[in-house]
Amino acid sequence: MTREGSRLSLRKIVSIGTPIILLIVVGLIVRRWLATDPQFFNRFEPTLVNFMMLSFLLFVVGVAGVLSRRNIIIIFMSIELILNAVNINLIAFSRYLQINQATLEAKPGLLVNPISGPVFTIFIIVVAAAEAAVGLGIVISMFRNRETVAVDEIDLLKW
Amino acid sequence: MQLHGWEAVLFYVLAFMTLIMGVFVVTARFAVHSALFLIAALVNVALLFILLRAEFVAGVQILVYVGGVMVLFLFVIMLVQTRAEEEARVKLYTGQTWPAVLLALFLAISFYFAMSPAQQAFRPLDAAAAQIADRGEASASGSGFISKDTQNVGEALYRQAALPFEIASLLLLVALVGAVLLARGSKQEKLYE
Repeated sequence: MTREGSRLSLRKIVSIGTPIILLIVVGLIVRRWLATDPQFFNRFEPTLVNFMMLSFLLFVVGVAGVLSRRNIIIIFMSIELILNAVNINLIAFSRYLQINQATLEAKPGLLVNPISGPVFTIFIIVVAAAEAAVGLGIVISMFRNRETVAVDEIDLLKW
Repeated sequence: MQLHGWEAVLFYVLAFMTLIMGVFVVTARFAVHSALFLIAALVNVALLFILLRAEFVAGVQILVYVGGVMVLFLFVIMLVQTRAEEEARVKLYTGQTWPAVLLALFLAISFYFAMSPAQQAFRPLDAAAAQIADRGEASASGSGFISKDTQNVGEALYRQAALPFEIASLLLLVALVGAVLLARGSKQEKLYE
């Protein structure tokens, strides 16, 4: 009746129920916001710190993936997660500098360049694409020789 | 840089979805599922870029990252695919999973406690900054707001950042030659001689 991998698992329940729960929670919050005090939710409004926190948490998830998986391709994908976390950080700071540019430039000794965020992010994306191409070429030639993609089975150089 | 109203709600939704997709990338059993979760995470990151008024980078992310790099990942997963029955039983994690997860949790919690006093410090520095909505200028025919982000990024890439731009094209050429050289098997080399 059920195929391999189509069991009703916890991950399936979480990944389908999470958007529904999110929508319900968001709807209740917005309804209460409109009904009662409109100023109450101002302290939850995200600032730069929230973007930095998101970037850091994504980075930490990527690092945990790099350190703990056996499949080399999943390790590559965790590295892409790390690079995206850095991109979020750069663009958030660029937006912050763009908004506060007049105030910050009035302070002596500060050089404000908000366009460097997107430009550097584009170069990070380019380097990530090049690295993915070469890295996956290495994975293919490694798979041809050893018939495995698990990193702890590539141990010819171990003592 | 304070987001108000619906932008705040959208930020929390996108941030939560990105993190959940990231966790699923790291913990999926099959590599194809991991790639699809990463595609979802990258699309969420592109939406965050649009929320931060960086539309050009969002477009580049979708075109290059999702449309190029992830498709390449999927091709390679198909090439090195082990059989589904083997993959359903293979060991997923190295022996150092628990230290990695504990370290990640510790870092996350400590960062949260370190940065929450700073929440007040990054609100708009003055009233003028709080009024800025970077929508660019309306075009002559009055069709609404056109963002100047793409124009600014293009000008910067071809003026201030022209040298890194050219070096990036050279880097891509090197990567292309290297990838072809690595992936060509010995059978194909003999074919060309």
